[in-house]
Amino acid sequence: MKHNLRESLHDFWEDLRRDWQLYLLLAPTVIWFALFLYKPMYGLLIAFKDFSIFRGIEGSAWVGFANFAELFQNDMFVRAFWNTITISGLGLIFAFPVPIILALMFNEVQSAAARRWAQTVVYLPHFISVVIVAGIVINFLSPSTGVVNLLLKGLGFEPVYFLTQPEWFRPVFIGSSIWKEAGFESIVYLAAIAGVSPTLYESARVDGASRWQMMWRITLPCILPTIIIMLIIRIGNLVEVGFEYIILLYRPSTYETADVVSTFIYRTGLQGTQYDLATAAGLFNAVIAFVLVYSANRISRKVSSTSLW
Amino acid sequence: MKALHKGAPLLALMTAVMIASPGLAQDTGRITKEPLELTIHFHFRDKYVYSEKWPVERKAAEITNIHVRNVASLATTSSRDAFNLLIASGDLPDIVGGDATGGLKEDFIRYGLEGAFIPLGDLIEKHAPHLKAFFDSHPEIRNAISGPDGKFYFIPYVPDGKFSRGWFIRQDWLDKLGLKRPETPEEIHEVLKAFRDKDPNGNGVKDEVPYFAREEVDAVRLINLWDARVSGSERYGDFAVYDGKLRHPWAEENYKTGISHVAQWYKEGLIDKEIFTRGARSREYLLGNNLGGMTHDWFASTSTYNDALSPKIKGFALKPMLPPKTASGDRFEDARRLRVQPVGWAISATNEHPVETIKYFDFWFSEQGRILSNFGVEGLTYEMVDGKPQFKKEVLESKDPVNAQLWAIGAQVPRGFWMTYEYERQWTNKIALEGIDMYEKCNCLKDEFMGVSLNAEEKAVFDRYWPSILTYMTEMQQTWVLGAQDINTGWGAYKKRLTDLGYDKVIETMQAAYDRQYKVAQ
Repeated sequence: MKHNLRESLHDFWEDLRRDWQLYLLLAPTVIWFALFLYKPMYGLLIAFKDFSIFRGIEGSAWVGFANFAELFQNDMFVRAFWNTITISGLGLIFAFPVPIILALMFNEVQSAAARRWAQTVVYLPHFISVVIVAGIVINFLSPSTGVVNLLLKGLGFEPVYFLTQPEWFRPVFIGSSIWKEAGFESIVYLAAIAGVSPTLYESARVDGASRWQMMWRITLPCILPTIIIMLIIRIGNLVEVGFEYIILLYRPSTYETADVVSTFIYRTGLQGTQYDLATAAGLFNAVIAFVLVYSANRISRKVSSTSLW
Repeated sequence: MKALHKGAPLLALMTAVMIASPGLAQDTGRITKEPLELTIHFHFRDKYVYSEKWPVERKAAEITNIHVRNVASLATTSSRDAFNLLIASGDLPDIVGGDATGGLKEDFIRYGLEGAFIPLGDLIEKHAPHLKAFFDSHPEIRNAISGPDGKFYFIPYVPDGKFSRGWFIRQDWLDKLGLKRPETPEEIHEVLKAFRDKDPNGNGVKDEVPYFAREEVDAVRLINLWDARVSGSERYGDFAVYDGKLRHPWAEENYKTGISHVAQWYKEGLIDKEIFTRGARSREYLLGNNLGGMTHDWFASTSTYNDALSPKIKGFALKPMLPPKTASGDRFEDARRLRVQPVGWAISATNEHPVETIKYFDFWFSEQGRILSNFGVEGLTYEMVDGKPQFKKEVLESKDPVNAQLWAIGAQVPRGFWMTYEYERQWTNKIALEGIDMYEKCNCLKDEFMGVSLNAEEKAVFDRYWPSILTYMTEMQQTWVLGAQDINTGWGAYKKRLTDLGYDKVIETMQAAYDRQYKVAQ
């Protein structure tokens, strides 16, 4: 045993010396993970404590699962949880395919100049801060001066006060998120498409395949592993909806459909300085996410033999 | 700085101070013989920290011989984060103060109970005559800042003046349409309808917004007309005191009446369609474009639009008006300036000079300390005229607001001090002063709920139930006003849901705490 350990240490050292440049490149990420993701895990303890920042993690009293019990008895948390799942689920259905379709479309554009132009146009919104995107959305949807409502009025419809109506929140949120992120997310798929061997297309062309057939039979199957990996990652994030954008868009009148776990944590946990409760909610989220990723990965490995691990 | 510590310049300044405040000849303000340095963590308004370069701090150091040195980092852009990080570090300086989102009162009390700050009652009794006199004459403030153990752990910033917000109406529009100032809910209704239909801005388009408001708290302010209250204090959605009994205004019967009318008016287009989304700039936009007719907002800042807009909009006159009579014939103003701010400063348990520190805190409640903290430094920002401080002309006429100029030199910052309304009066617009005067004569201000300190068990009950209840109530308020549901059909379910969410338990808990805090020490 001891011998083995020494041997493997020796091997590791040899590897390090041989490929030190690669390890150097890896180092920042490892350090980042250790400092910002592994070290704070110690703080998860406060989910089981009656936490006081003055007493510190050590000094606060243990309370077992009291914080979790409090969460599940809270109607607002339960509602926020289901809202999170719904928004993410709808996002998965509507937003996930869009970058794939975009990438396939870019791939079919013949003129390089036109393609570059189109790509830039759809990437750009990614680089706009969410605060500004929210401002744009609010202005576009304003009932008196917003473009959308002016258009509706022009067509003879009643103006709609979109941002105060619960049933409109999800379409507005998901729609504007697609506009903002789809272009940028398509880069991954474009890279995958670029990696498809040209010989496949050449032989297909010789066999008289149409462009549609080539896309359907060659491009898509070749980028399927990428799609599945992205899907698994996406499923892992199912319980996470970024709170910044929601906070910028929601109003009390739309809480019913818009309040998600992260905004719940923000409101009761951070604004109300109940860190222990907020940590419990976050930990619960993480556990669910873990289960989801694990199951998605297992299913994918069984069905398509593509998996994250 | 050092040169000032010794000899002649100090003496000269001391003499000047003594001359400046006659009757205080023996009250020099000097606390220690040897200069004493105290450390302070003081981060405020999310971007400022205490500075030894402030002329006000230099002056205070000259007088008291206590030099306060800041340890808060300017690198943080959130006073709340700065405070929490300090507490989490456990390494507290001699004094902790400033402000933060949500106020620091609960933090001072909570961490005071946990041993971070010392109770100040005994120290004040023995060493702080001005603070003692202040608290003796203002028992309600002492009650309001006390913890559940009856002790208090910080010296608050005490504002002065009663009035914050009031009703404003476009007097020139009323004149143009030949209407008199509305006095009752029905008359308000007529006036708002006239604003909507009769094109008072004269541009031929029906674009007027009869009632608008900038802040959440004023969005549904019109429910006052049916005797309902928006909040028990300046804080949005706070509890209110009804004859010694604590309840929430949004669970009262008159709230139902009020909201149902407001919803009706909203539907009729008398209230800004975008009232919940337009946000902080709505006043600027709607007044600047000659669209808004009536609002409820701060006296001082709202009145200044008269000066700013009269060159652009002919005859522009936005005048304060008395609160209209309510449906029951009452007349009241809901919004009152806070009597005590939940900010200030406290003495750490690790401070080795608690006596000197409390004497230093006491200095700011003395005559010269009050002048210094309110008006700044003599000769720099004010001159004494007839024994009273008067801001210098260049301060009043500068293009920067007076308060911003004072913050820059260390006056009017959220240390434990007692504001004097005179400071604000001197640079308040004449129209606002008239309004405040009118409200003063009306004597129709509702009393404010000053908050309670909950003990550990009470806090557990409050934290468990209240956030959900408040979320639900806010949500329903907007749902009703926007017309997604009719309050008259939804009210029963609403009341039942409140009970299910634990409303009665919260009220019972709050009442117990309220009785303990305010009834005992009368």
